[in-house]
Amino acid sequence: MANYYNIDEILMEEELVSVVFQVEANGVGLLDPGSESNDVEKGAKVDLPFWLAHELYSRQVVSVNVPTCFGQKTWKEIQADAACVDLRSRCPYFYELGCRVAPLVGDKSIGSSLLYTFAGRYKDALCKGHKSGFTSTPKFLPLLTKEESQLFEAARSSMAAFKKWRVGGSRLERASILGRKRKSAAEVQALNP
Amino acid sequence: MYGRNAGKLLREVACSESGHLTSFNNILFDKVIQDCSEHHLQLQSLMRKIQDQGLDIQTTRNSDHFGAVIHHLSLIRNKRCLMAYMNHRLEIIRSLRWKVGRELPEEIQQKLTQSERDYFKNHSLALESYMSELDLELTVDMVPPKDPYIQVRVLEDIGDVLLSSAQTTLLRHSVHSLRRSDAEPYISQGLMEEFLG
Repeated sequence: MANYYNIDEILMEEELVSVVFQVEANGVGLLDPGSESNDVEKGAKVDLPFWLAHELYSRQVVSVNVPTCFGQKTWKEIQADAACVDLRSRCPYFYELGCRVAPLVGDKSIGSSLLYTFAGRYKDALCKGHKSGFTSTPKFLPLLTKEESQLFEAARSSMAAFKKWRVGGSRLERASILGRKRKSAAEVQALNP
Repeated sequence: MYGRNAGKLLREVACSESGHLTSFNNILFDKVIQDCSEHHLQLQSLMRKIQDQGLDIQTTRNSDHFGAVIHHLSLIRNKRCLMAYMNHRLEIIRSLRWKVGRELPEEIQQKLTQSERDYFKNHSLALESYMSELDLELTVDMVPPKDPYIQVRVLEDIGDVLLSSAQTTLLRHSVHSLRRSDAEPYISQGLMEEFLG
């Protein structure tokens, strides 16, 4: 377990994956909405959050199917043009989940496909982060996964910090947590003298 | 159940701007705790069922066992989510002492629970006692200033205050030359700004 308190990791594990139960389990009826009794039967196909699926897989209770976001359709779109694929709506934690799911489903191609995708999109996200303006939200931002948008924000804020350093504005500022009514005006002034 | 409420709780945190606090979500937090008790009850009843059948609880691997495992895992998961939620808030609260200072404005106070306010107070006291032991103010700007004095413009009426040099009346829109160390807390609270003329 990487970091017990890491919120991104916890949310990544919240993503649903489809599993097939290899044994029966009693008293957990709510898991399977199609089940009439309070039990899950052998062979039932259920969507479970990854944290549960992973633990049950290691106890050989379930077998994991390849989630749809790592299906052939996605890879085909990525081969066409990686930068334009909307990965966020597929899965906001695309890479992280992919790395964790790959050993469970025994699909060897997922790893190399993920690397191909990341390499194709990395440069693009970083360059756009450096070049983009500081006030507007760019159009492609909703296509990025969580990790990519963090990369984008890092590039954008480092560029802002560089510009501010070059202009030599005030080092002392109102704490950003206290709302932004005055801060935003001051920041704009510092950036566009 | 099965960690869904706990996931909602954390998603709310992830959606908010990083470094900013939201009000403590009592309703959802209590719901997660209710989920925990529910899982606990189910877990106990499944364990009892196994024992009633005269089976060894350590080695049995029947459908009751797997049901119990799922409830057990859900309990642990909920615990992790609640801990992460609290830890995230406490990290922000600790950073407030450095960014804002000893006194928190009303708008932030409202977002904290009573125990979080106590935590802030105690953390603040611990930091202050450490700084007085070192005889060094750690929360001021890390870059050495070129001039110990700074021109500031007052943004809101502060009134009469006792600064290290003398007693001063700080009225709105007035410009003063103050010691940097005096001005810094006011600037970080948003009551003054550096006057670059």
